[in-house]
Amino acid sequence: MKPGGPMPTRTADPRPPDKYPGRGRYPSYLAFGASGAFLMISALLLIRGVWALGDGGAAWDAYRGALGHPISLVYHGVAFIGLTWFALRLFRLFPATQPYRMGPIKRPADAVLVAGLYGVFFTVLAVGTLFLGGALL
Amino acid sequence: MSQKLKKTFIVTRFDPDKDEVPKTQTYEIEVEPDWKILDALNHIKDTVDPTLSHRWSCRMAVCGSCGMTVNGEPKLTCKDPMSDYGDTIEVAPLANFPVVRDLVVELEGFMERFQEVKPWIMVAKERAVEEGTTQQSPDELADFKQFSMCINCMLCYAACPVVSNEPDFIGPAALALGHRYNQDSRDEGAHVRNEIFRGEGGVFSCSFANECSEVCPKSVNPSGAIQQAKLGNVIDWATSFVVKRGGDVS
Repeated sequence: MKPGGPMPTRTADPRPPDKYPGRGRYPSYLAFGASGAFLMISALLLIRGVWALGDGGAAWDAYRGALGHPISLVYHGVAFIGLTWFALRLFRLFPATQPYRMGPIKRPADAVLVAGLYGVFFTVLAVGTLFLGGALL
Repeated sequence: MSQKLKKTFIVTRFDPDKDEVPKTQTYEIEVEPDWKILDALNHIKDTVDPTLSHRWSCRMAVCGSCGMTVNGEPKLTCKDPMSDYGDTIEVAPLANFPVVRDLVVELEGFMERFQEVKPWIMVAKERAVEEGTTQQSPDELADFKQFSMCINCMLCYAACPVVSNEPDFIGPAALALGHRYNQDSRDEGAHVRNEIFRGEGGVFSCSFANECSEVCPKSVNPSGAIQQAKLGNVIDWATSFVVKRGGDVS
């Protein structure tokens, strides 16, 4: 936060926030940022799956077979923890980021917004699991 | 008569004429239990060490002058009760700002950031007096009121890790103020501010640490304002291809 021009007196250099990065609320924020990588990788895997679905039955079966590989299973286990952490922090902070009015309606109560987010999260999780498990095809 | 408490204050000192880098000095003083941190600093300056420099004014969390780092957290010292702390209290200048002397930080960079977001109502054409006052409904006021409560105390800048790591970041208070004007029904300059918001150091530099909102003493919620501005900017950018933008505003 240095000024653009020269300062009238000699100053001591700014120092970073005292608790950054290892203490206070900062580790939670850094874990949130890092878990965004799982979001990106998982989104790419999802797109790859949609692509395989469009390529026919053999490609889809190969895609599902690849998901059963031990490395893939380990990745998805770790990614699930990471994405759950990402979602928990995002859902906790989400209501405070919403405007007073959302289009024509006033902002619903925070509890309603959070319940909606969890509803979507668990629905997507259940549908995704059933779909990849073959129960919906 | 309340019983006085013994407290140890570890205060950051820096004299630009003598010191290369800031150092600390310890003061052991007796304080009243109902004192705020600022009362103790004033007591030190008045009775123990008149060379101690710190900035303060209103003593009622309105002017935003007395922001300092207390035990590692940015705080308004006039609002921060002594009872929240143990026997030892560390007081340092706000992080992320150059230190002018002791607990006093340089404000100039902060003030420059405010000017960047054009924090005033911009209109294409001034209303004539005969046209009467501009009407605004309670709902329209509520759209931005929270973001207009900022007292420029700079605690949000001191807590923000992005301010630390990205010198061009406009920062929480200034972006929240810009968003406040974008939300104002009387304003016609959102497309001008959004260009600034989308530029270098704008809203997309924010990585949602949320520290600004955590430390804000007036519940302005700069983090919320910035996330709203991000969405508003994506919509503004997308619609700019199909909807003609307003002309010159001032």
